[in-house]
Amino acid sequence: MDTLVAQYSRPSGQQEGYSQDEQQELLQLTPPLSLKFALPPIAQPSSWLRAMTDDYSNPNCPIKIAHGTTTLAFRFQGGIIVATDSRATAGNWIASQTVKKVIEINNCLLGTMAGGAADCQYWLAYLGMQCRLHELRHKRRISVAAASKILANLVYSYKGMGLSMGTMCAGVTPQEGPALYYIDSDGTRLSGNLFCVGSGQTFAYGVLDAQYSYDLSEEDALDLGRRSILAATHRDAYSGGYINLYHVKESGWVKHGFSDTNPIFWKTKLEKGEFSNVTSELE
Amino acid sequence: MASGYDRALSVFSPDGHVFQVEYALEAVKRGTCAVGVKGKDIVVLGCEKRSAMKLQDTRITPSKICLVDTHVALAFAGLNADARILVDKARLEAQSHRLTVEDPVSIEYITKYVAGVQQRYTQSGGVRPFGISTLIVGFDPNDKSPRLYQTEPSGIYSAWKANAIGRSSKTVREFLERNHKADMEREDTIKLTVKSLLEVVQTGAKNIEIAVMAPGKPIEMLPVEDIEKYVESINTEKQEEAATRRTGGRTPGTGTAAILTRPAGQPAGDGATDPLP
Amino acid sequence: MRGATILKATDDKTRELNQHNLMAFSGEAGDTIQFAEYIQANIRLYTMRNTTSLPPPAVSSFVRSELSRALRSRRPYTVNLLLGGYDTITDTPALYWIDYLAALAKVPYAAHGYAQYYCLSILDKHHHPDIGFERGMELLRMCTDELKRRLPVDFKGVTVKVVTREGIREVEYVDDKPVKSA
Repeated sequence: MDTLVAQYSRPSGQQEGYSQDEQQELLQLTPPLSLKFALPPIAQPSSWLRAMTDDYSNPNCPIKIAHGTTTLAFRFQGGIIVATDSRATAGNWIASQTVKKVIEINNCLLGTMAGGAADCQYWLAYLGMQCRLHELRHKRRISVAAASKILANLVYSYKGMGLSMGTMCAGVTPQEGPALYYIDSDGTRLSGNLFCVGSGQTFAYGVLDAQYSYDLSEEDALDLGRRSILAATHRDAYSGGYINLYHVKESGWVKHGFSDTNPIFWKTKLEKGEFSNVTSELE
Repeated sequence: MASGYDRALSVFSPDGHVFQVEYALEAVKRGTCAVGVKGKDIVVLGCEKRSAMKLQDTRITPSKICLVDTHVALAFAGLNADARILVDKARLEAQSHRLTVEDPVSIEYITKYVAGVQQRYTQSGGVRPFGISTLIVGFDPNDKSPRLYQTEPSGIYSAWKANAIGRSSKTVREFLERNHKADMEREDTIKLTVKSLLEVVQTGAKNIEIAVMAPGKPIEMLPVEDIEKYVESINTEKQEEAATRRTGGRTPGTGTAAILTRPAGQPAGDGATDPLP
Repeated sequence: MRGATILKATDDKTRELNQHNLMAFSGEAGDTIQFAEYIQANIRLYTMRNTTSLPPPAVSSFVRSELSRALRSRRPYTVNLLLGGYDTITDTPALYWIDYLAALAKVPYAAHGYAQYYCLSILDKHHHPDIGFERGMELLRMCTDELKRRLPVDFKGVTVKVVTREGIREVEYVDDKPVKSA
């Protein structure tokens, strides 16, 4: 009873206005671009995480993070080709052969994932949310530059805390045409014509750089993307499974299959005579 | 009359008014007049300048037209000091926007932001609304179509072809309604701005400020001599017109008299374009 | 560059702070651009608020103090900077050298990283306070040639920007001639 009385008999001056916190909340127009994210309750989250997850220096580490990938994307006259493999590994264990490493942010924007699978999935989904909100607020689709910058600023705010991701954002917008950005967990953000990311990047670069030209036809570009991933899956133990191929155009992206590498490899070998180090006969 | 409902802010009166906001609008009406006019590929801001005291240094007294970013200009009517705070918030947001999404702000975005700030000050405790209306003009990045928006103390924002705020804004707006044409060239747009301001400014060019924005160019504040020329040519036109009227010409009048001659029932929208000689 | 891969050969490692001030940066990935763009936004904001641009000494002071403030925070920026500016009031050019520990020095010529060891001796010998633009470019050529000759890493071209009374402009710099060592 006393509390009730106290509640209703406060001096009127006190009720006027809001507390400092309430006002702060009111004055906050839009939610912040970075979410409040729980960190482990220890002094140095990053070194703790490294100790728990680094299977290279400590094979008995309790958490094994899915790593190892080949992803590529390049710009050409007909838009952007995005291609990835589909293998997820945790240490030397293949955790999955059917991972979707291309994330469809919206019908004109694609993201690729390399590095920590969970980090990429979570933050690219978050990016998709921010892009949709941007679209609703500004009444037009977000530019690729802006989308990639949101992600870059986000991962930069977690720099040194153990995020691990190397992603590409590809999209075509009326303002900027085909645009391709590379973002990694260091906070690096670069625009460019051609990027390969992941443990198999060197193998993919090798094939891609040699035959890349901006004036590639659509068919040749798709073939080159597919062949570059195939090269990486062949040489990199941490890449393999299926080739996930996309073509981003002004009207949106088009999926060009999620195809098993094995038949493609044998087709390439037998029809074109490539991969001559592999023999198909028993001697 | 208000019976206490105008005391604390963020309290409705029984008939749904928030009195403090309406009082803020009253402060706007007492502010000096500001006009914005869109042309084909240009947008012009005009302001009435309060006549300076004898000892005032007019060269460095702040102007009523401010730059929010290189491509966005803002003019206001109402309490000068309030405007300074609001403009500063807008400038900060403009740079912050560049930093976080790389692109400069669009005019609509910054208008929405300004209106958003104004709205917040009608709903939080312990604050009072901004006693200003603003006209925000400029060009979106990589875009050639002029933009003109207005915001009010309540937090409303709206887009216009031409509009006036502040003292006698009704007169000026009605003048603009009658004389604004689509796709005006640079000279016509500036002239219309000056002319509309002369509806309320009696003292001529020295009490008028004009800013011109064109796509991809920095803001251009017209020097007094140029404004003088526009004023002169408008005055001679008016005199000639008056002379023809005396000799029996049936040209429709200008100024306040014309409001009376507007046919009844004609919408006060864009259709009202009385021919000017 | 990441690991053993060059991701982009023509990345612009400079930011224009205002009409007459240019900042070049190197250092930790991510930190460099974040810091440079943060400075750029604040200098621009100053220009908008005061309708006047900060002159080079003020810019350098501001940059140094921001860097030193961050240095004492939880996460400092690991960035080395060169600041080129032209003071339109005193009509003089100015160059500032700032390292990641927020040490500031006004210098006639400067370099960061391994380049210092090769270039500074060249500039010590050949630089003179009243040289013109042409001679300046000649000195730059001497420097880049020496770097090509002696630096163990092969860098992929250089971006050259010039700050003058008229503002900031990029200069084309042909850099594909092989340099033979003696």
